[in-house]
Amino acid sequence: MASEDELNLLVIVMDVNPIWWGQQAQRDMSESTECLDAVMVMGNSHMAMTTTNRLAVISSHFQDSHFLYPCKNWTGGDGAWDGTMDEAPYCGDGKYELLSVANNVVAEEMKRVMSTTEMKGNSTDTLLAGSLAKALCCILLQKIVTFFSAGQEMKSRILVIKTAEDCARQYMNFMNVIFAAQKQNILIDACVLDSDSGLLQQACDITGGLYLKIPQKIALAQYLLWVFLPDLEQRPQLVLPPPVHVDYRAACFCHRNLIEIGYVCSVCLSIFCNFSPICTTCETAFKIQLPQMMKSKKKKLKQSI
Amino acid sequence: MASLSEEVLLVLKKVRQRKQDGTLYLMAERIAWGPEGKDRFTVSHLYSDIRCQKISPDGKAKIQLQLVLHTGESSTFHFSNDSSALTDREAAKDLLQQLLPKFKKKANKELEEKNRMLQEDPVLFQLYKDLVVSQVISAEEFWANRMSTTNTENTLSDKKQDVGISAAFLADIRPQTDGCNGLRYNLTPDIIESIFRTYPAVQQKYGENVPHNLTEKEFWTRFFQSHYFHRDRISTGALDIFSECAKQDEKGNVTHLELYRYIRSGVLNVLTAEGLPKEKKIGGKPASTSNPNRTGKENSNSAIIKRFNHHSAMILAAGSRRGDAPNDQASETSSTDGNSRDSDLFQPPIKKVKLQEAIDYLDLQREDGPKTVALNLKKSDRYAHGPVPLESQKYTTSQDIINSITCIRHEMANYVPNLAQVLTSSAVSSAIAALSPGGVLMQTGTQQAINQMVPSEVQGELKHLYIAAGELLRHFWTCFPVNSPFLEEKVVKMRSNLERFQMTKLRPFQEKVQRQYLSANITGHLEEMLQTAYNKLHAWQTRRMMRKI
Repeated sequence: MASEDELNLLVIVMDVNPIWWGQQAQRDMSESTECLDAVMVMGNSHMAMTTTNRLAVISSHFQDSHFLYPCKNWTGGDGAWDGTMDEAPYCGDGKYELLSVANNVVAEEMKRVMSTTEMKGNSTDTLLAGSLAKALCCILLQKIVTFFSAGQEMKSRILVIKTAEDCARQYMNFMNVIFAAQKQNILIDACVLDSDSGLLQQACDITGGLYLKIPQKIALAQYLLWVFLPDLEQRPQLVLPPPVHVDYRAACFCHRNLIEIGYVCSVCLSIFCNFSPICTTCETAFKIQLPQMMKSKKKKLKQSI
Repeated sequence: MASLSEEVLLVLKKVRQRKQDGTLYLMAERIAWGPEGKDRFTVSHLYSDIRCQKISPDGKAKIQLQLVLHTGESSTFHFSNDSSALTDREAAKDLLQQLLPKFKKKANKELEEKNRMLQEDPVLFQLYKDLVVSQVISAEEFWANRMSTTNTENTLSDKKQDVGISAAFLADIRPQTDGCNGLRYNLTPDIIESIFRTYPAVQQKYGENVPHNLTEKEFWTRFFQSHYFHRDRISTGALDIFSECAKQDEKGNVTHLELYRYIRSGVLNVLTAEGLPKEKKIGGKPASTSNPNRTGKENSNSAIIKRFNHHSAMILAAGSRRGDAPNDQASETSSTDGNSRDSDLFQPPIKKVKLQEAIDYLDLQREDGPKTVALNLKKSDRYAHGPVPLESQKYTTSQDIINSITCIRHEMANYVPNLAQVLTSSAVSSAIAALSPGGVLMQTGTQQAINQMVPSEVQGELKHLYIAAGELLRHFWTCFPVNSPFLEEKVVKMRSNLERFQMTKLRPFQEKVQRQYLSANITGHLEEMLQTAYNKLHAWQTRRMMRKI
């Protein structure tokens, strides 16, 4: 059990790529809003566990990453973390006010994000690396604030709910974020709805989090509550899905094939599957000693004569 | 046996053995005796078999030599030549005394070495038990690789340690009073050696005078009587042969001091400026040129201190002189002079280095950052995507995109959170079933913890099997590439060894494990390694046959 002094911050990074969600909505009606409901249930449950639990929700879009909760646009004052609201809207079901506030904020912000979606450039990829970086910054800021104001330690983790595919162009940023999280002892959990993501598998493996690919979206809330609600200390005592075997093979730069043994340029560290005398990335020249083949050839000639 | 292809070292006629006349032959590696008139040897013993030799005491009529073997047997030879029996036997005895130790050491040394290695290393011992005792591999092959490494180690260690000179060797002599006003000094060869090594001048004197002018006893008596040896050394008689040694030492003292000064040269020249009073000079001057106002006691004190310093310096010099040619006495005595000459040559560079060290302060130097080379990438987009495999992107038309966006926008505009009806019970129960042990998402968990299914003795046995297999495979793989007929034979032999190992050790173990502990396949990897070795041998053999054809 976490001690009373410990603060737990859960940052939910939700992939709200409208293209993916729109396609899903066209296939099966009214699924996207249900997923958002499931995420809200997860957030509420987390905050309901102990009073010292905190929540942040970030939406990951192809335009930008946006904090859904806590949010500066909320007109009820900036006491969102503490739950002290001057004019909290009455939601009618006697819920803990913090939860109802959170839900309303998330819903409002989500609507705003979706309504301001415009397809300008060519990029349709979710800016996941950027959202994770924002999450890390938020965690760090909160850590400093709580340490200096209340003298308390803060533990934090990130839960990524991923829908669209990986973007290969974000690889370097992604890896940097992952290593930064590992250094800060921040877990990255991943709940994948559609297709397996190699980057998130690596992230979970490196930081010690859980990776889960869900067979059906309908029961998303159940999966979230079962697997991702317990925090790090409670997980060893539960029987949770085992870690996935991660394929760490690198892809060669010439063909983008996964290889196990290859040649690495010592200057720029780019990986190739065949030896070439000049590295194509940094144009360094290399020499390699070829094995001596001459003698056996001569032997063969002699015998044939 | 009768062929005398070995080198014969000594032949002694008229030696009786078991009451038969014959001839005793001592060869390079064995001793043999043959009866008179016959060509063969009836008795032949290798020197390595002989444990010791015994001779009959001097007074006895029969002059005999007995050889005791390791096995406990003994053969007695009776020297019956009237004139030269005793000398014959002495000759035989001396030769055997020289030869036996050589052979004895060799045989014993190897066995001792092997025993020691087996005792020191339990892993090696276990390996030996597994492989040699169960006849998978022969003992010679087992020791073949190991002995070569230990022999080199032994020779290395032999070279390292030499006994140094005790600093107190002169004091340890400890003369005892002889009763009436005389002193008795006990000189052992060790002390004599120490004296010679420390004071090469004395050795020179010894070489000159003994045995021509003086006997050894006289030389040492004079040595101890001479004032050279005594502490005060104030006056030396002209007749004393050791007065030259004293003078040489004196000279040596001076050169030591000069040496000291030369070493500190650069710094000293600055400090020996005029302003400094004489007493504060670092280099100092030898006591002989000191202020004449010093009292006699101060003189004798400084003389004692000088002698102590000189004594210690000579001992240290003797230790470092060992590597040089010890036979060249002239070079040894001139070594102290040579030092001063060398120091002259080295003076300028040493001075410069000292000056430089005194001037440079690391703190005051400008800090250079680490020298970096800029990375010059021609295709920097590779940096962005990294070694990630190219995945097929789903192709979406722009119309699709527009449709999707409008659809979702529409949906979200009417969104009201309805948290009370997020889940249906059927969906939940299927999700829970998938997450429970044995469910769809929990499949990979059961393959873990094979080491918890198998007890530790079995694991230990498996470790021994791995070590033994590793040893055999190492022998096998070092045969490739096969260059010589010896390696060809060895490769085939190793294959049969591996097969034998598999039959006798691996299969029974595997069956035992399978009988008791379900289907844990813990020997799969071992089998794979053996199979790779067989495949390699097969490939090599077929290639050889193709080449022959």
